[in-house]
Amino acid sequence: MTSRRDLFKGAAVVGGAAAFAAGFSETAERMLETVVSPAHARGTTGNSQKPEFRVTAAGDLELDPDTRTAFTLCQGCTTLCGVRVRIDAKTDTVTRVTGNPYSPLSTDPHVPMGTPVRKALLSLTRHNEAGLAGRSTACGRGNAVLEQQTSPYRVTAPMKRVGPRNSGRWEPISFEQLIHEVVEGGDLFGEGHVKGLRELRSFDPIDPAAPELGPKVNKVALLASVADGRNPFVARFVQKAYGSINMTGHGSYCGGSYRAGSGAVFGDTKTMPHAKPDIPNAEFVIFMGTAPANAGNPFKRFGTLLAKARTDGAMKYVIVDPVLGHSDNEAARDRGRWVPIRPGTDAALAMAMIRWILDENRYDATFLAQPSLAAAKAAGEVAWSNATHLVIADPAHARFGRFLRGSDVGAAVAEADRGKDADPFVVIDPATDAPVVAGAAPATLFAEREIEVEGKPVKVATSLSLLAASARAHTIADYSAICGVPEDVVVGLAREFTSHGKKAAISSHGGTMAGNGFQSAFAIVMLNTLIGNLNRKGGTFATAGGFNPYAGPRYKLADFPGSVKPTGVPLSRNVPYEKTTEFKTKKAAGKAWPAEAPWFSTAGQLSTQWLPSALSGYPYGIDALILWSVNPVYGIPGVRPIAEKTLGDPKRIPLIVAVDPFINESSCFADYIVPDSTMYESWGFIEPWGGVPTKSMVMRWPVVEPKAAKTAEGHPISIETFLIALAKAMKLPGFGADAIVAADGSKHPLDRAEDWYLRAAANVAFTGKGPVPDATDDDVALAGVGRLMGAIEERLSKEEVRKVAFLATRGGRHQPLAEAWGPDGKAAWVFEKPLQVWNEGVGATRDSMTGKRLSGVPTWVPPTFADGTPVEEKYPTKDWPLRLVSQKSPLQNSYSIAARRLRGLHPDNPVGISPADAERLGLATGDKVRISSPTGSVEGVALVRHSVREGVVAVEHGFGHKELGARPHRIGDRLQPTDPGNAAGVALNDLGLIDPTGKHQTVFVDPIAGTAVRQAIPARLERA
Amino acid sequence: MDRSRRDFLRNIGRVTAGAPVALASGTVAAVAAGAPAPVHHWAMVVDVAKCIGCQACTVACIMENRVPENAFRTFVSTYEVAEGDVTRLAMLPRLCNHCDEPPCVPVCPVGATFKAPDGEVLVDGDACVGCGYCVQACPYDARFINAETRTADKCTFCAHRVEAGLLPACVETCVGGARIFGDLADPSSTVSKLLKERGGEAKVLKPEEKTRPNVFYLGLDERFAGRVDAVPTLWRPTEQRV
Repeated sequence: MTSRRDLFKGAAVVGGAAAFAAGFSETAERMLETVVSPAHARGTTGNSQKPEFRVTAAGDLELDPDTRTAFTLCQGCTTLCGVRVRIDAKTDTVTRVTGNPYSPLSTDPHVPMGTPVRKALLSLTRHNEAGLAGRSTACGRGNAVLEQQTSPYRVTAPMKRVGPRNSGRWEPISFEQLIHEVVEGGDLFGEGHVKGLRELRSFDPIDPAAPELGPKVNKVALLASVADGRNPFVARFVQKAYGSINMTGHGSYCGGSYRAGSGAVFGDTKTMPHAKPDIPNAEFVIFMGTAPANAGNPFKRFGTLLAKARTDGAMKYVIVDPVLGHSDNEAARDRGRWVPIRPGTDAALAMAMIRWILDENRYDATFLAQPSLAAAKAAGEVAWSNATHLVIADPAHARFGRFLRGSDVGAAVAEADRGKDADPFVVIDPATDAPVVAGAAPATLFAEREIEVEGKPVKVATSLSLLAASARAHTIADYSAICGVPEDVVVGLAREFTSHGKKAAISSHGGTMAGNGFQSAFAIVMLNTLIGNLNRKGGTFATAGGFNPYAGPRYKLADFPGSVKPTGVPLSRNVPYEKTTEFKTKKAAGKAWPAEAPWFSTAGQLSTQWLPSALSGYPYGIDALILWSVNPVYGIPGVRPIAEKTLGDPKRIPLIVAVDPFINESSCFADYIVPDSTMYESWGFIEPWGGVPTKSMVMRWPVVEPKAAKTAEGHPISIETFLIALAKAMKLPGFGADAIVAADGSKHPLDRAEDWYLRAAANVAFTGKGPVPDATDDDVALAGVGRLMGAIEERLSKEEVRKVAFLATRGGRHQPLAEAWGPDGKAAWVFEKPLQVWNEGVGATRDSMTGKRLSGVPTWVPPTFADGTPVEEKYPTKDWPLRLVSQKSPLQNSYSIAARRLRGLHPDNPVGISPADAERLGLATGDKVRISSPTGSVEGVALVRHSVREGVVAVEHGFGHKELGARPHRIGDRLQPTDPGNAAGVALNDLGLIDPTGKHQTVFVDPIAGTAVRQAIPARLERA
Repeated sequence: MDRSRRDFLRNIGRVTAGAPVALASGTVAAVAAGAPAPVHHWAMVVDVAKCIGCQACTVACIMENRVPENAFRTFVSTYEVAEGDVTRLAMLPRLCNHCDEPPCVPVCPVGATFKAPDGEVLVDGDACVGCGYCVQACPYDARFINAETRTADKCTFCAHRVEAGLLPACVETCVGGARIFGDLADPSSTVSKLLKERGGEAKVLKPEEKTRPNVFYLGLDERFAGRVDAVPTLWRPTEQRV
């Protein structure tokens, strides 16, 4: 017994190995008690759930009469997989979740749409062992988040704050009172008059002296989270009906820097296209700043593909990251490898690889030499780039940073077309060595020279020459010293990356969210361009998209008579500073730069800027804010002090409404909370964010009755119910009677959510290559769609009914995987615009603070504050020797902490430090530590990990909550429960930086992308 | 390296991955004399290199079997393996081994724990008195006393699902496809074929215990037997704290 006890003790100390030690402790405890035979342990399977169906001896499927199965969507993370839920029919409760076999995000390969539901379900069983190859999965979190349905922390009725903001006291109010007060305003809290939405909907200018800011209605803003399939409905209200320009999501504090850098390569920094590696067919993949088995998007699909590719497939891969998560597995032998990198230096490694590839002629010259789509096609390429296009490289020239155009070298171009799409690009003809208009023939890759433009010599260079110059700004040894990756490893990575033709890829994501994240992502994605792997099997592919639910063939949901086109400067200042009155005034006064605060002209809307804008009133403040199931206070590093001064102060933001099923760190500041539906209760249409090479559109529909309170008309309260009621109260266009116009001209009401989503479903069912088949009675019965049929029949035409039911029985519409790749390994869905080696939009932009030109090619810059000061200068390494980095586990996200079954498995986030740092600091696993950054400090518990690079402090996201059940709220006379477990661990974002160089208090962001900084935060650590 | 060495001994010592298993083809579970001839011989093959350590299996099992909080019928232990400059992650999915010679069975004073005809080691909850002898007898720490039922609890290979023609919950939801379940009595089953084709690399845990497990591991690194510096990491369930 002694040795056994020691064994348990030892195991218990170290955690993971002692998975079952819990069982032992329980035994020990039990042995001290008198054993009483329990009342409810019966038979051999204990409390196990009843199977949802069984396979008969004849190989048929037999449903359990007390159970429903339905296909819908998981919102356990932003991947948004199609899932299959098991519902206890008696209690109308979801009791289990697994994968939807029709969904490519859950099954590889997914079952073709035409397969009857009965056969699809059989493919998941032991019958003929079909379920082994056909398994359709939910991840750990996906299995557990059903707890949110019945969570004790859920808000199910509208409520209004009692006392000051964030006092944690609320009174339940009727839906009717909610709508009245939000629309009409009044002295709502005994603090003076609050303007309601009706009064705030003014189209008078915010500032007549600065008309570019737009109308006052822009001071009403809605912040959303992930695009969960309902955003077009919400945008219909906020932008098209109410008329504000300000609605955006969480992207700028998610993986925004990756998207921005990718957008620079793909030629659109507003919509930011991006591509993913074709893991099943690639021979070598570098994951740099993304961990395919930990997080990222699509997390689960990539986990499945990674496992297959490193075992049955041909892929080798490298994880480049300051921290190694689960993406490596030593049982995969030489297939995987971890290369630890210093935080915030991804761009240095990528630029080193670019330099080596250019120096050693390891790039795909045939691909890069094609100056047009026609030339690319003639050369057998499926994508093309502007590598050969000549750029005006003369700083004195008015169009410095812009492309040379045909009209510059004498091509006949109409005056009105000069500099536009019709004005062709110019390249060097390799035969004559003279500038010519880009045509269908290959062009010279490298050229730097003076040519005559309108009688004057002008310095020009090809895009690729400019990239080479940027890469050669440092030696490979210098880059190696910066990023801490040995020179031979840098070269080895570049050599391997260029040793597989187009069957190699590099992938990135949130690891780039540092103070130079734009450059990191720009450089990383550029590597794919150098080997010409886009649209190629084994290379990379852009998302194939979905089936449009809004501009479809049956109903015109995308627009409506009387809709507003919002105008003005967004709160994010993501428009050119040069077009503002401020710029013109300052320029006239002789000092155009800096602007009051940064402008991000190349970026999309940036939620990182909203609260700082509300605080500074620049470009203008916020009069009313709707927070829709979003948590910027928890999500944006460093924002808390700014949030307390804005969300916390009714003088700054006079009206805040949160639409959310939970009280989080942001909605706790609201004046009103409106219950939203949760995932299995709600509607939506969503396509994969990336990583699926075929068209796919998940249909989410309420597979159980929503738990929220109902309106007087009996509609369950949700974001849709709320916005419809607001619109009707204000008599806005686009809602209510006759608001939806069908393709045949008939008009239909928009009175409740179904009115919108079922017609959207009809569009999805009828679009594409033709309508989907009709659902059979058996499909309807097996997929639990019976409860939806009444709503479908009530609204849709006879020919639509069974086709919409078909979508519901499949949980959406998904193109077969077999259609992903055409002959010759070319993607079926092809991104055909030019990849940007030089991005003109970026390269012709000046930084609004420094007035300096941005680089149109990626370049190494260290993390830098808004005025151009490197972080190192303000917070030197000698004072701040460590760098904080953020990662995710596969289990916890920013809103899952209250799921007890996840917490039991992964209750907190000990702070990962390397053995070397642990030794230097005299720390061991389990020691309490204080982590400090220049703006704050938190206490955590150390976990010494070999998988953390020296100099790095690794903090997992999803812990350190102050809300979501960590703090009690009084609602009426009822005190909500709390659990200290909900507050466990630390939140890295509490240590995020305020930009110390700004005139106004604002969070530290990437200077170009405007995205949050949660990687490479300067820090120090001490024993607490 | 003293410190690491000590870590290793503490942490890994009990997860002995032994020599390759001698596979008796067509083995059948031990059954009591006079019982009907077994139809199946259920087994699991874990292709370790396919495991991504996501714990989907762990959570699916918890939800399917309503396992009480902070108890586990299955779990994926995650280790760091550091050798020189190279650090790697290692995953080890663990569950009841449904041994052909189950040490938990003979110690049960009331005969509640038994070897079922199709090979599962099960607990009859109606008979179990919750004494915990079986929990201590199990060399794999795969059993616990269920705080709600107050009886011995463990993986059943999801007998209730398998009987219904379905796969165990952990297998059905295994994101990496590492868990493969089937019938060793059927030579054409995937598990039979896998063990035939890759039997040389198949290992069982703690072969020296002579328990004859029915959970087999492919690709499990022999270095787990004791030459590496391995530190369990990342997953620290609530009950396993210092």
